[in-house]
Order: sequence, then C-alpha cells, then structure tokens
Amino acid sequence: MTFLEISNISKTFGKVAAVNDVSLEITQGEFVTFLGPSGSGKSTTLYMIAGFFEPTAGDVRLEGRSILAEPSNKRNIGMVFQRYTLFPHLSVAENVAFPLRVRRRPAGEIARKVEEMLALVRLESFADRMPAQLSGGQQQRVALARALAYNPPLLLMDEPLSALDKKLREEIQDEIRRIHRQTGVTILYVTHDQEEALSLSDRIALFNQGRIEQLGKGRELYDAPRTRFVADFIGHSNFIDCAITRSEGGSADIVLPDGGTLNGISLHGAAVAGARAGLMIRPDRLRFSPLGEGAEPGIDAVLTDATFIGETYHVVLATGWGASVNVRIPASRIRPQDLTMGTHVRLHWEAGDARLFGQ
Amino acid sequence: MTVTDVPIATPSPVLAAARRRGRGLAPVLPALALIVVVFVIPVLALLLRSVLEPEPGLQNYAAFFASTTYLKVLGNTFLVAGTVTVATVLLGFPVAWFLAIAPSFWSRLLFAIVILSMWTNLLARTYAWMVLLQRTGIINRTLMEIGLISEPLPLINNLVGVTIGMTYIMLPFMILPLHATIRSIDPAIFQAASLCGASRFQAFTRVMLPLTASGIAAGALMVFVMSLGYFITPALLGGTSNMMLAELIAQLVQSLLDWGLAGAAALVLLVITLAIYMVQLRFFGFGQARG
Repeated sequence: MTFLEISNISKTFGKVAAVNDVSLEITQGEFVTFLGPSGSGKSTTLYMIAGFFEPTAGDVRLEGRSILAEPSNKRNIGMVFQRYTLFPHLSVAENVAFPLRVRRRPAGEIARKVEEMLALVRLESFADRMPAQLSGGQQQRVALARALAYNPPLLLMDEPLSALDKKLREEIQDEIRRIHRQTGVTILYVTHDQEEALSLSDRIALFNQGRIEQLGKGRELYDAPRTRFVADFIGHSNFIDCAITRSEGGSADIVLPDGGTLNGISLHGAAVAGARAGLMIRPDRLRFSPLGEGAEPGIDAVLTDATFIGETYHVVLATGWGASVNVRIPASRIRPQDLTMGTHVRLHWEAGDARLFGQ
Repeated sequence: MTVTDVPIATPSPVLAAARRRGRGLAPVLPALALIVVVFVIPVLALLLRSVLEPEPGLQNYAAFFASTTYLKVLGNTFLVAGTVTVATVLLGFPVAWFLAIAPSFWSRLLFAIVILSMWTNLLARTYAWMVLLQRTGIINRTLMEIGLISEPLPLINNLVGVTIGMTYIMLPFMILPLHATIRSIDPAIFQAASLCGASRFQAFTRVMLPLTASGIAAGALMVFVMSLGYFITPALLGGTSNMMLAELIAQLVQSLLDWGLAGAAALVLLVITLAIYMVQLRFFGFGQARG
C-alpha cells in the first residue's frame, strides 16, 4: 500500500521552476534517497513535505490524507537538518524532551521516552550536556533522537552529514542504517553524495533540473541508467562520441569517428539515423587485449597511462581519433608487464554493457 | 567548523611583558586624565558637598528621604524609566526581528532610518514632539477632527509626554543590541521547533525568548539607566508639577543653589544605577550576545 504519495508537485520561485511535476510513491518503512546536484530540486521537494514551502501545484498525501493544508507543527513529521539545530539553551535531554513537552505529555512518559531515545543513539551518558559541549556528529545524533522522540511516521533528513568529516560520516551512516532497521520508520533522505545514497537507501530518486530523472534501486541506476545524466552522475562512465547510422526499436548501429562501425547497441532516448550520440561503457566493464587476438566488437587504442590504486589498476587509453578512455582492472587480472605505455591494444566489452544515449 | 573551538583568550607573551613594564597603559592616559578631570573630580566634589554643606553630616540625605516631594520625584523617575524600558522592548523586538530576517533592501532601509533618527539633533527631535503633542498639535487636531475626542488630550507638560518622547529617543538603544542577538540565531532552529510540534507561540516563548534574553537584558539595562538620568526630554516635554530626578538636581543647583541636597540626590541616582548594573552582571555576564 502507498504510504507517502507525492503527486505532480511543482514549485516555482519567480519564473524559475525549482521542482517541476515530481511524482513518487513510497511504501511504509522504506528508505528513499533524493540524490542530485545542488539546485536539482531535491531539498525543495523535502521542504514542501516538511511544510516550509507551499507547492505551486500538486499534492502530498501521507497515509491517504493530504497534508498540505496543515502547518508544519501539525504534520507530525520528524526532521534532521543540514545545519546544527539543537536548541542551544537546552541540555541534550531537554532537547529530546522538547517535542513531547510542547505536546503536553505526562512527565513520566517524557522521562521514559528521553531515556529510550538517548539509548537508541547511544548518548545516554550525555543527557546533561549542553549542545555546545558536543561534537558535530554527536549533535546530529541528538537531533535524530529529538526527531524520533514523538514516533513520527515519516523522518526527513536534509544532508545531515554534509558538515561532518568523511570518517565520522561513515560512522553515522552505520548508525542511521541501524536506527532505520530498529525503528522501521520511513525515511526520506536528501544528499548530493552518491556513495551515501547507494549505501543507505532502498531506492534512489535521482533529481536533475527539478525532475526525477530516474527512480530505482541503486544497482538499477548503476547497471541500467535510462539517461546520459544518470549514467554520468552514478559511478564513472566513458562516453565515446559517435553517429547513429540506423535505429530500430531499442537498438541502433553506429559509426565511430575513425569510420569503424558497431551494430545492435541498446539505445536510450529518441535518436534517428544521422544524429550524434554517446556510447557509454563503465570503466570496470571494459577489457583490452593485445592486437590480433580478434575480440569483437572493439575499438583500437593505445595505452597512455596506468596507475595502481590498490586492488585495481586505473588505465587510460587513447583511441585513434584522440579520445581518452578509462578502464579499471582488478590487480589480480593483469600483469604489470602488460601495461607498457604505447602498447597498441583492442578495447572490447560484453554486448550488454554498452549503452547508447542520444544527445 | 566544530563547536568545541570556542575562542579562548590566550594571554599573548608580548602583551603580558608590556603590561609588566606598565607600557600598555600609556596610550590610555590622555582619555583617563580627561575622565578624571571632568567626571571623577566633579562627581567627588559634588558628593563631598552633599555631606559637608551646609555643615558636615547626613542631613541632606535625611532631608531627601523625608520629603514626600523628593520621594515622588524619585518615584516618577522610576515609573518613567520602567515604562520607557517596557515600551522599548515591546516596540523594539519586532523591529529587531524584522531587521534580522527581512530582505536586505528593506532591512538596510529600516536600519538607516533607525540610525539617522539617532544621529539627528536631540533638541530638534524633542521640539518636534512638542509640536506633535501640544493642545493644538497634529495629534490632538486629528483625533478631534475624526471625532474620537471632543477635548484635546493632555499629552504634554506631564509624564505622558515625557514617556512618549523618551520611548522614541531610547528605541534605537534597544533595537541595536537586540538585533545583534537575534541575528546570531540560525533561523533553521525555528524550523526545527515547528516540525517538533511547537506552535508559533510556543516557539516564541520556549525558543525565541530564552535565546534573546541576554539581548533584551542588555538593551533594557541601557535604556533604563539612561532614562533614570535623562534631562532634556523631561525638561521640555514634562511639567513643573511632575519632575524627574535629573530636573530636580538641575533646579536645586541652578535656582535654589542648594549644592548639598543636589549632591545627595545625585548620589542616590548613582547608587541605584550601580545596583541595577550589578544585578545585570550577576545574571547576564556583561550583557553580551551569547556566542
């Protein structure tokens, strides 16, 4: 059953459409991440759900009921912000108690709940500290405890880790995953960090220019990107310029700048014969062999650089027309003597690993 | 940025050495000398006269506290200073809030108005209030023309006029410290309070007020203390029957030549001011915005 339903919401600031006709259905207990570059509309969408922005059009329904008419303090939604928003004049315990106090819950219940929440984020011994005495990571954990104290059905998180350093970020990501498992709360999480999105979420909505470019599990976005933007944003990609000579159904034949041809490549986006296109292949799906070993399909190239970066080699090759192509090869699958600069090789790949995007 | 790196004043060895040699004091001496000559010595002289004239003893203080007239003047002074302080808090808070959150064009415009009004000559502003408040002034005429009143309201030559005029003059001294405090609060804190379920009223009483208390206290202290000793506005807008303490002191010196009693009244004012300042220090440190 649909738990949270975002239907056709838009938000324009002046003449700029920050969010443009976004629709999304989320089931209870799901962890969905809004991923995208800054200005792509992901935070604006979250803020409309929180009630800080009013959508220009569209509706948001939580458990079947529209929440747009309610002010944010009546929505019963939890939120952790990018900036530190603990109340500086209240102790850790008083911060967690705040949402219960304003709801006028009995003192005994508040005390129990505060204890339970601080245990959840493992900060029991910090109950009497003031926010200024906590590290950034601890402040965000208290903010999480405060946001969950009133058992909200939905938790919004707006880049909560972006102010923290990498090691701390990874630590708190683990905490967030554990808390999601433990509480079963539905989470909408905003980030511009694809690794964070991939490691945390059940599904990712990739935002671009106010729209959801693609929605799916992280692996789907990586393996089967539907647009060039998705292929470019998630993971690393090579895009080789080419021209379409024939397109039919979902596949096309292309001609490369050096005149070489490749047939039957899966095509995404409208493109007709004669149009320019980008041939996308992930660096970890490309292989190369010495010339003359007859791997097809393929592109001839010259090895120009190879760097050992631990576990894998990062190899750069140049095609006959001067485009550079990146390849990642596990260290166990190649001998250093096969990586001599200037070696002529043939690049090849499995048929399913190449995707063609119209431009 | 981490929250733990609160700036701690580390004693600079260079400064410390200079201080040991007493050199740090040298640049301060001219100003210090001026303060001693034009403030400390005259005040001490006045205070001495309060216990020496017309003969040694505390008779001036006894006379001050025995006179219902003088106690009434003291009461008036507190009443006006207190009312002005409360009024500037109530009027200044929304302005300080607007200055902190408004789009920069509007906040700059309002800021300029506040500052310009402070820079305009005090006498000119007070005379302007006389024009507005008098029996045939704009306020009374307008109210009579629209039929709200039939007789002119007594808005001048009494404490009402003094309170109105002083509230206006003191307003910037409330707005500026309050604005500094409000601006240091991240507005996201109020979004967080709202999502936590706090109504606007709860967000105001439970978050806004505690976070701005130090700014309110700093502004209130400034306004209250300045109001206690204010002279020009009460002299021009007030009446002879309801004086404030500064007017009384001026009258004692200028008309009655009673320097002893004037000194006693001045010391009473000074002691009260210091006492209020100590209370403020006790509760709010130096009245600085919280960091």
